[in-house]
Amino acid sequence: MKKPRMAKKTLCQNTITTVTFLTIATVLAYLFFLASLNTTSVAFIYVLTVMLIARNTDGYVPGIVAGVIGVICVNVVFTYPYMKLNFNLDGYPITFIVMMMVSGITSTLTTQAKRQNEMLIEQEKLLMEAEKETMRANLLRAVSHDLRTPLTSIIGMSGTCLEESETLTPEEKKEMIRGINEDANWLLNMVENLLSVTRIQVGDTHVATSPECLEEVVAEALSRLKKRLPEIQVRVKVPDDVLMVSMDATLIEQVIINLLENSYYHSGVEDAIDFYVERQGLEVVFHIRDYGRGIEPERIDTIFDGAGTDPNKSGDSHKGMGIGLSICKTIITAHEGQIYAKNREKGVEFVFTLPIGEEITDGE
Amino acid sequence: MANKESILVIEDEKNIGNYIETIITARGYKVLRAYNGMSGMTVINSYCPDLILLDLGLPDIDGMEILRRVREFSDVPVIVLSARTKEEEKVRALDEGADDYLTKPFGADELLARIRTALRHYARHTNMLPEPAYSRDGLVIDFEKRLVTLQGEPVHLTQIQYKLVSLLAKNAGKVLTYDSILKEIWGPYADTDNQILRVNMANIRRKLEANPAEPHYIFTEIGVGYRMIEST
Repeated sequence: MKKPRMAKKTLCQNTITTVTFLTIATVLAYLFFLASLNTTSVAFIYVLTVMLIARNTDGYVPGIVAGVIGVICVNVVFTYPYMKLNFNLDGYPITFIVMMMVSGITSTLTTQAKRQNEMLIEQEKLLMEAEKETMRANLLRAVSHDLRTPLTSIIGMSGTCLEESETLTPEEKKEMIRGINEDANWLLNMVENLLSVTRIQVGDTHVATSPECLEEVVAEALSRLKKRLPEIQVRVKVPDDVLMVSMDATLIEQVIINLLENSYYHSGVEDAIDFYVERQGLEVVFHIRDYGRGIEPERIDTIFDGAGTDPNKSGDSHKGMGIGLSICKTIITAHEGQIYAKNREKGVEFVFTLPIGEEITDGE
Repeated sequence: MANKESILVIEDEKNIGNYIETIITARGYKVLRAYNGMSGMTVINSYCPDLILLDLGLPDIDGMEILRRVREFSDVPVIVLSARTKEEEKVRALDEGADDYLTKPFGADELLARIRTALRHYARHTNMLPEPAYSRDGLVIDFEKRLVTLQGEPVHLTQIQYKLVSLLAKNAGKVLTYDSILKEIWGPYADTDNQILRVNMANIRRKLEANPAEPHYIFTEIGVGYRMIEST
């Protein structure tokens, strides 16, 4: 249903483009002809026009038609006898043939180039969609794994508490309930992470931002994290100036929480984590620095790609941060910022940046 | 307590209701339960509870509708229970007259603190008691002398900053929405843009808090408003 109408539309556009170009060419050629009386330059003007027409229309037809019209125009208007078709001029057949061929070849070439370009774009689109699809599939797989592990322990431990309530000592019971609590809290963060992904995908890769006071976001992220991990130690510092930065506060809080939690679980030490924010030109830069065992050099470039921990290395897969980190990257990319990790002398530094939007100065 | 305060819990999730009931009974409050909006309304009309814990997602009536109906005839404190990431819903409930909100999942301490605050504000309000000075961890606000001191040292605040701090202190423990603060301080025709408020709050923070990124007295609930820690 839609295609014929589209074709009609293109036909219309093609006609308009062709006529316009030809008219301009004829006017130019006429002026030129008046000035110099040289038919060869007139022919060149038409060849150029044919090329331009082929470039700006769809398909071969307009170019060829323009070529024919050009040849006729040159013959009728600009060669003796004027206003009459005459193919018996000296050397004219050659001009005629060359001009036809040039028009034909250029219009074919430009059309082909255009087709190829379109195909390339199409292919790229398909590739991107496929990539998105694999990312989604990876995420789902990782999620179901990461959800199942804590759920298994919650179901197991709560079941034991119910069934063996008489034989368990109060300490054992308490220990199990603590375990249930910890896993449930971890699940909560996971759910919040997943929710933040849906928040991004509503507007595809962009997020709805509003100017937020930097320190308020930092403070709220910290208090939310401390509610869940009371024993985490963070030394935090924000700039002295009041900074308003455009962002989706919920999402940036999630990034801060994920990175701090990642350092807490994976640094291997209980030293305080340094978290400081500074302004660098038109960016705010967040640094999260731990003093632990660092990241294996071969993983540092892919750590945000969601592949997460090596499946062969089960280690502490329970608190796998694969999803958490890949969500950080999604969020920061959607904010047009950057995120990366660097091994330092001792420990790791995670860095992410946000562009500063509109600025609000001191209100005092 | 001789005269136990009664709390009505309107919550359709049985497990959450049980959890809340366990916590508040342990603290000596009397608990009434309702599993949907209609029976909740009936209990409110016949028992006149001292406080209502209202879940916004009920099977029969929208929680907001219950809040509206209650506010037509009563000032009883209402604390709304809502899911996270729905700032608009919280703000709407607060603007419709809810006294406070709790985000699920919440801890026992949080719940009890909110209940305490709401009951205290209500009692002070109905008995027209004068506001006692605010005092918490070295921060003292004397409303009569309009004086703020931090660890004994006077804090110099601008007119607007003092108004803001005292407004929050008088409602300590309660969240105040951006809009309600703007209306209270800048008047009903204030700009709806809350930038000016937030810049003022940031400046207050620099005068009161040791580290603005780890506030001790005034907390931000982004997308909703500000909450000052309870007075002791």
